[in-house]
Amino acid sequence: MDVFDLIIIGAGPGGYIAAERAGSLGKNVLLIERDQMGGVCTNLGCIPTKSLLNAAKLYRSAQESEKMGVTATSVDFNLTTAMKWKQETVETLRSGITFLMKNAKVTVVFGEAVCLDANHVQVGKTVYEGTDLIIATGSSPAVPPIPGHDLPHVVTSNEILSIEKLPTSLAIIGGGVIGVEFASFFASVGVKVSIIEMMDEILPMMDGEFAKLMRREMKPVEFRLGCKVTEITRDGVKYTDAKGAVQNQAADMVLLSVGRKPNLEALQALNLDTNRLGVVVDDQLRTNIPHVYAIGDVNGKSLLAHSASRMAEVVVANLYGENKQKMRYQAIPWAVYGIPEAAGCGLTESEAKKSGREIVTATTQMRANGRFLAEHGKRAAGLCKVVADAKTKAILGVHLLGPYSSEIIYGAAAIIEAELRIKDVKEIVFPHPSVSEIIRDTLFAIEGTL
Amino acid sequence: MATEVVMPKQGNTVESCIILEWKVQEGDTVKVGDVVCEAETDKSTIDVESTAEGTVLKLWYQAGDEVPVMQPILTVGEKGEKVEKPASVVEEATAPPTEQATEKKAEEVVTPVPSVVASGEHGVSPRAKGAAAAGGIDPTSLTPSGPKGRVIERDVIAAVDGRAPLSPVAKEALLAQGLEAPRQGSGIGGRVLSSDLVDSVQPLADVAFPGPVEETPVRSVRKITAQRMHASLATTAQFTMNAYADATALQSLRARFKASAPELGLQGITINDIILYAVAKTIVQFPYMNTHFLGDKMLTFTHVHLGSAVDTPKGLLVPVVKFADQRSLKGISDEFKRLATASIAGKAQPEDLSGGTFTVTNLGALGIDTFTPVLNVPEVAILGVGGISMRALEDADGDFVFIPHIGLSLTIDHQGVDGAPAAKFLKALCANIGAVDILLAL
Repeated sequence: MDVFDLIIIGAGPGGYIAAERAGSLGKNVLLIERDQMGGVCTNLGCIPTKSLLNAAKLYRSAQESEKMGVTATSVDFNLTTAMKWKQETVETLRSGITFLMKNAKVTVVFGEAVCLDANHVQVGKTVYEGTDLIIATGSSPAVPPIPGHDLPHVVTSNEILSIEKLPTSLAIIGGGVIGVEFASFFASVGVKVSIIEMMDEILPMMDGEFAKLMRREMKPVEFRLGCKVTEITRDGVKYTDAKGAVQNQAADMVLLSVGRKPNLEALQALNLDTNRLGVVVDDQLRTNIPHVYAIGDVNGKSLLAHSASRMAEVVVANLYGENKQKMRYQAIPWAVYGIPEAAGCGLTESEAKKSGREIVTATTQMRANGRFLAEHGKRAAGLCKVVADAKTKAILGVHLLGPYSSEIIYGAAAIIEAELRIKDVKEIVFPHPSVSEIIRDTLFAIEGTL
Repeated sequence: MATEVVMPKQGNTVESCIILEWKVQEGDTVKVGDVVCEAETDKSTIDVESTAEGTVLKLWYQAGDEVPVMQPILTVGEKGEKVEKPASVVEEATAPPTEQATEKKAEEVVTPVPSVVASGEHGVSPRAKGAAAAGGIDPTSLTPSGPKGRVIERDVIAAVDGRAPLSPVAKEALLAQGLEAPRQGSGIGGRVLSSDLVDSVQPLADVAFPGPVEETPVRSVRKITAQRMHASLATTAQFTMNAYADATALQSLRARFKASAPELGLQGITINDIILYAVAKTIVQFPYMNTHFLGDKMLTFTHVHLGSAVDTPKGLLVPVVKFADQRSLKGISDEFKRLATASIAGKAQPEDLSGGTFTVTNLGALGIDTFTPVLNVPEVAILGVGGISMRALEDADGDFVFIPHIGLSLTIDHQGVDGAPAAKFLKALCANIGAVDILLAL
């Protein structure tokens, strides 16, 4: 029987980062994956959707850039080619991860893992023994038991990435990040898209005024807010609207994007504490069983690839490093790669108020930003909002809507992690012209003087 | 010819330096370039070198003094040469000093020159102040290692050393609110965030307030003590007076007993035994102190049954030396020893612990000076015995001498006895303790 320092179940952005970090420290690491290297992020999430969304963005730009002097005639969107590009991207990244594992001398085994106890994991007929165990089994799309959910034209984010033909109309149930990103893609390539959302607003982590602007910018997507789906039929989705009236949204494809559920199948024998979100962990990602850690979506703390990777590093640092680390959640940036793009980090205005703080805040329009104006014109939508503590002037949250938001937001993470104050950030030089300057300008909008 | 060595100029902004340590003494020989002292500016610590050769005739300042730059700090010349005090050292040059006055004044300049430091912060060097602000530390909270109890830069560096960097918010909060920062915070790379400062007031990060608590039921000795103490304070009019008795005779007597022949069996007589003896012999002259107050009547006892508090593993017990007034010092000592041993072992009988007419309680061995004993009701008085300490007294020649004294605290129940009669008893007791060797004749 093989004995490893560390066994990791799941090769997503949590698992493979844990394997790479521990492997490069010279530890004997086993990584078990039941499907593809890279997990949902690489194969069915972050990466393939970015590939398709960029194609949609180019398609739209080609159609809309006449006012800037570029006339493109007979612009077409070819789904088959776009899917091929997407597939090539995914496969390149996947082999890159495989190479990383080889480099870090990580043993990789493919197959369904079954935990026998905290130190033994079975794959097929082989039992592996390890000193420590990291569970990084991720999550899967939740499929609520709505009548008609098993009809052939009802898909989740998994299946929709391998469709061969664009639908004419698409009803998306759930206005979260996944729903909004697919809506942006399909609407941009000419599909009639509607989003049916149970809550009063889409994108719950987003500041209210941003979500509203996002919806406006996503035209012609139709939003059905405060609506509860009662049934999916062969030609559409039946729902009760905010006023209680029964409505029907016609669609020849239905995307279920109502959330994700933790993958706990492999863990039955461990008797782990779990709750509604997943495996219960402390701030060092420890479960109730000694030597067993749970990172990424499976613990439900923060369903983001980069959160999973950071959790992996915290666990590896605590297992083998000199300084004990704790997982911090207060500065994890999120991004919506829709059209337009949006990103945020830290507290929204309402969250900050709810936490009992007195706050100061300002929102600025991106059209005042040189690069934004040059590339997108004065009619395009773009916002930046900064939330700061009124007393300490520490920056609590930064919210962006507009191009490059996802690229800029890491700066906000650094600012919030370092607990910088408004006056501290004012001393940082931002490149000009860049959309990132909007953050600095917003700080001066809060406090006009040096 | 005498030459003055000045505090060198340190750039354009430094107005003064603090002399940390003199490296030369008056009378030492110095050459040009020899280090005469170490000084601290708000920017650095510098070695001040001599600019003259010869004998150090006079150091014009003491370590710890703050000296404006270009001011003479010492005078070098030929041995025995007369020293002229530099004009700049004069604090108030009202009139040209005479030759004699100069000599006198030169002695006086060793007092600190007017400082440029703001009042209240005299104890912090400018450089330490700068380092403290950068490190988010309240310099006045540090243990000073500089001359004259001044906090200098190295004190701040020692305090900051090894601590993770502070976030700007944490730094500001630390200075403004006087909190403590942990060595490691919860931020990036252990950075100390403002939330860590709040955490730092908790004794342990992983223990929720208030931490482990042990529950103990109130029973047996604790319960009785609680009831009796509460009843004592609730039902009497307690009033405590403090006095000191000369303990010279007491200490020498105790020393002589200790050194006495073993066969006499006097070696174990303690200070407390001697006090008990003095109380027993004194109180018979003050029968109103040997009294029980019972509300509608008072019982005054002819004989003294003397209680003395004993700290036992179970709690406070007060065994009673019966007929103490009739016992010799050795008799009191032996009986009390027997009772105390039994009490500590949990073997004291109820009759050993009751029937007292007056109580003595002694906290002197625990470093207590004076205190307010709580009456052992229905007794009208209790004597608290404190430790022995030196008290300065004026002797017949008008000189001050230090005499060991023992602290005595007498609590009375003002319901049963008044202040003046009680004070008379305490005065007599002090006198008797002061002459306890004579009292032994009784």
